[in-house]
Amino acid sequence: MTLDALVRNPLSWGVVLLAFGLWILLPRGSTRGWWLGFTLTMVSLGLFASRMPVIGDWATTGTFAIMAAVTIISAVLTVTMRNPVYCAIWFALSLLATAGLFMFQGAQFLGVATVVVYAGAILVTFLFVLMLANPEGHAFYDRLSWEAPLSAATGAVTIGVLTFALVGVFHPHDQPFAQIPAVEADRSAEILSSEHMAHLGAQLFSKHLVAVELAGTLLLVALVGCVAIVAEAKARRGKRAERSGGALR
Amino acid sequence: MNEVALLENYLLVGALLFGLGLVGFFSRRNMIVMFLCAEMMLQGVSVSLVAWGRYHNNWDGQSLVIFILTVAACEAAIALALVVALYQRSGSLDIAFWHDLREDNLPAYTDHEIPEVTDDTPQHWPTLTVSGLEPVHNPEEETHRAEV
Repeated sequence: MTLDALVRNPLSWGVVLLAFGLWILLPRGSTRGWWLGFTLTMVSLGLFASRMPVIGDWATTGTFAIMAAVTIISAVLTVTMRNPVYCAIWFALSLLATAGLFMFQGAQFLGVATVVVYAGAILVTFLFVLMLANPEGHAFYDRLSWEAPLSAATGAVTIGVLTFALVGVFHPHDQPFAQIPAVEADRSAEILSSEHMAHLGAQLFSKHLVAVELAGTLLLVALVGCVAIVAEAKARRGKRAERSGGALR
Repeated sequence: MNEVALLENYLLVGALLFGLGLVGFFSRRNMIVMFLCAEMMLQGVSVSLVAWGRYHNNWDGQSLVIFILTVAACEAAIALALVVALYQRSGSLDIAFWHDLREDNLPAYTDHEIPEVTDDTPQHWPTLTVSGLEPVHNPEEETHRAEV
């Protein structure tokens, strides 16, 4: 790819705008220019989306576009909000839209599991810890970022490399139509079958049986690990209190 | 529905989620937000895996995402136990408190300017219309706060 083609490519402008937009959006001392950063980020996301092919009729494409937009915009706000509680809530919205994307692909179980496990369990636990640790919700370290320009550029370049690879593989030499052969198969008999759970469960407990057992063991190990970490922290606190002659809080 | 176009669109969404999570993990200083961003990167990978599973018309993508969910749950449990233990030692969720763990040849990190913490999202509480008799006030009870 020549330099000229690179400059004419909207994706390169998308990468540059995304880096600048995220840099402006990331927490700093002030919120000046927030709307500028938000607009730049949205324009760059639009540039990325403009290179993507249309999925189907307008209803299908529109449904996908709405869910994808909610996912990505909430993700941007999760990363850049200064109040960590808002971060968690935007992340929940992003997860809900991701669950919608899973449903759109016919992955019904994963859609439900994402809502139940992620949004229901993991995120609420995060919020619990957040409210235990930082009840007033305003701390100076939420208004600072490590190396904001550098990390925004790193993320934008990562996204750019992935997108360039994607477009280069699917549309080599700027062809509008994908050059990847479609896997011709009867999806309604397999991945889109009406007995989704039965198929998925059969697959999980036959082909991946050892992995399921390992995953169960991993959950047990994580449980033991959590208890060990908390018990050790408690013991250390007790020792420190003993040394200083004070009672345990 | 065009399956190849579907795959390409989903891969873009996955790449964006992964990259945004990466930015957050690199730049945020709150430990909990860092872990949220790590979870977001896992979500990006999950979206890509489900798309590939649909394209190839088999169940391996979705099975792998189930294992990702399991590992994410374990990771969240361990991470939160660690965050609570670290919080009890440092008194804040700031990851910069732990910069003693850096490499020998790196300079210490100092905050050059600490931004003033103001409540920039003022709360507007709703007001209720007055009704009924005003109850007897007990000032001791009103000003009492349980120690946090």
